[in-house]
Amino acid sequence: MIRIVMAGTAFSVACSLQPLVGQDPVIHVLAQFPALILAGSLLGGRFRLPQHLTGPTLVLALVSLAIWMLPRSLDAALLDPVWMVAKFVTLPLCVGLPLAAAWSHVGSVLRGFLKAQAISMLLFLGFLYTHAPMRLCNSYLVDDQQRLGLGFVYLACALILWWIIPVFFGQISSNKKDDDNDVSRHRIELR
Amino acid sequence: MSATDVYSAESGPNPQEALVKFTMLLGGVVFLLMMVFGLIMRVAQGDLISLDPEMFYLLLTAHGAGMVGSAALSGAAILWFFSARHLNLRSSIYIAFLGLFLAGVVLILGSIFIGGYGGAWTFLFPLPAMSGGLWEAWAGVMFCVGYLLIGVGFLLYYLELGLKIASRYNGLLGGLGWRYLFANNSTDVPPPTIVAASSVLVFNTIGIVFGAAVLAASIVNLLLPSFEVDPLLAKNAIYFFGHVFINATIYMAVTAVYEILPDYTGRPWKSTKLFIGAWAAVVIFVQAVYFHHLLQDVNMPAWTMAVGQVVSYASGVPLIGVTVFSLAVYIKGSGLKWDLPISLLTLGVVGWGLGSIPAMVDGMVSVNKLMHNTQWVPGHFHTYLLLGEVAMAFGFAAWLVRDKAVTTLSSLDRLVFRAYVFGGAGFVLVFLWSGASSIPRRWAVHYEQWQLQSQLASGFALIVVLATLVLVVRYVAGLARRSQ
Ligand code: HEM
Repeated sequence: MIRIVMAGTAFSVACSLQPLVGQDPVIHVLAQFPALILAGSLLGGRFRLPQHLTGPTLVLALVSLAIWMLPRSLDAALLDPVWMVAKFVTLPLCVGLPLAAAWSHVGSVLRGFLKAQAISMLLFLGFLYTHAPMRLCNSYLVDDQQRLGLGFVYLACALILWWIIPVFFGQISSNKKDDDNDVSRHRIELR
Repeated sequence: MSATDVYSAESGPNPQEALVKFTMLLGGVVFLLMMVFGLIMRVAQGDLISLDPEMFYLLLTAHGAGMVGSAALSGAAILWFFSARHLNLRSSIYIAFLGLFLAGVVLILGSIFIGGYGGAWTFLFPLPAMSGGLWEAWAGVMFCVGYLLIGVGFLLYYLELGLKIASRYNGLLGGLGWRYLFANNSTDVPPPTIVAASSVLVFNTIGIVFGAAVLAASIVNLLLPSFEVDPLLAKNAIYFFGHVFINATIYMAVTAVYEILPDYTGRPWKSTKLFIGAWAAVVIFVQAVYFHHLLQDVNMPAWTMAVGQVVSYASGVPLIGVTVFSLAVYIKGSGLKWDLPISLLTLGVVGWGLGSIPAMVDGMVSVNKLMHNTQWVPGHFHTYLLLGEVAMAFGFAAWLVRDKAVTTLSSLDRLVFRAYVFGGAGFVLVFLWSGASSIPRRWAVHYEQWQLQSQLASGFALIVVLATLVLVVRYVAGLARRSQ
């Protein structure tokens, strides 16, 4: 129940940001998008997804996210009501929800890969948005675009710290699949 | 999972052995081929054959990338093999690593020999895009994509190592041994190989990420030239990556010494505080030292020059000092019987130590002004690679296929070993001599006054090539004997 309330709250925050997204791409992409994805993932955490659906579910989430990474989609979501509605439907239901539902089945290597991919994509987008010699979105100015680029870079840095620091202290999340591969302690004598 | 799933020297065959043997075969053959390319370049510089300068730069690019790649591949195989003594590593990840690596090699070779890319292994921005008509943008892109694939393979490899170390030793801090070093917590101190693996995976992952970033930017620039990258920033990223990556090869390979020497001396290599402290210094300093590649870039801030110079000492001395010294102590009085593997491994440590000395000299700003673009630099890195990493790799390979009944150097082994040392030492000394005489590096055609050095070096190089040929053949024969 708490999760549903929290998901509702995240969704309402995303809706309340809608009047601002036309002026500022940072709010659009780095505040509203994450709020929508979070709303979906709070719901998705409750799903018991059958193991064999993990692959397709992940593909759905990643492809949907990739579509929303295109500057063209941002423009469309501002200009075309159909795209606007699609944003409110697909980001929670086709990105956040499937990602959260599949996550518990994803092995640690694939998790690491996805995290690394997320960071590198953010940095890559950061590079593109700060270096592009032209406007990538018709709806936003070059200055805004560069601010968004820097925002991607800051987000990537924050994620790096968030994901890396626990690894140094031994709190890495694992799942059933990894347990089969885990090495229990005190087994090997020091050579 | 039961205790026996993790291999220890006593508990039967290493589950990674077949894959690692195959990798060492690949590495050995490529080393040999690239040495032949090197020989051709040196012979051409000595004007003993006439080589089209365009071809020289293709060979130089292939030699640089191929050698660095083989050093990395053999280092990675060694580290994987010995880490598997302490961790339960998944072969599937190694296969994916190898697959990505080989796919990268195919692209790199294609870009050089089909696309004509001759911009050197360092892909210094914006050179890949400024071929002067010698190669087209797609060849540059193909080269960069090849590197990226290799980078992704390595990230996957380190991810698996990191996951296993973190879960076995309670986080990477445990694997690095820093709990023991800084908090004096002596429960579950990691063995030397794990300390090395943890250290390398930390700094090499960071290095590869920077490399990948600048590669991605270069690819965009090649395809859409209006996307410009700050060349100085790109140069910083490239040399950060390049320095860290090539150093990592030897830091991975040295685990062979930690693990094999005890078989010979009966004295285990211990993770002392000094040892762990030296590795901790490496983790920090190997990343801060790359500035010594930019001592000639006048618009770099002055403090970077100071860091480059000071850290040039700090980065090499602790670990090399500790390793060379420990090696001497472990060997002394142990009654060790010298055979080919242990001779080559010992040579590797000594060559690594000696090879860092010219770098420290060149890391001084005042010396660098004179020596930066001379053959002094190849003199330095050929010492610690040819007589260091490569010697360790062949030592490890020889150990993999050793005949346990033979505990001494046969006369052929002795001849090969001596030839390798003699040819290798002569070859690198001539590079250093050439550098001290201000002969520039990376020149396809040498003035007549410089040709004597190149001709002498060619003779030494030929000896190395022949010795290496025997080492490779001996390895193949060993594999065949063992599989019977
Ligand atoms: C018989 C052995 C070898 C020979 C004859 C040889 C020869 C050469 C020559 C002639 C050059 C160009 C020097 C110049 O700039 O004027 C060179 C560069 C280089 N070599 Fe070697 N080499 C040998 C072994 C190795 C090994 C074992 C490695 C590494 C594992 C290596 C790595 C490199 C690298 C990284 C460069 C720099 C390429 C560049 O400037 O872009 N070489 N070598």
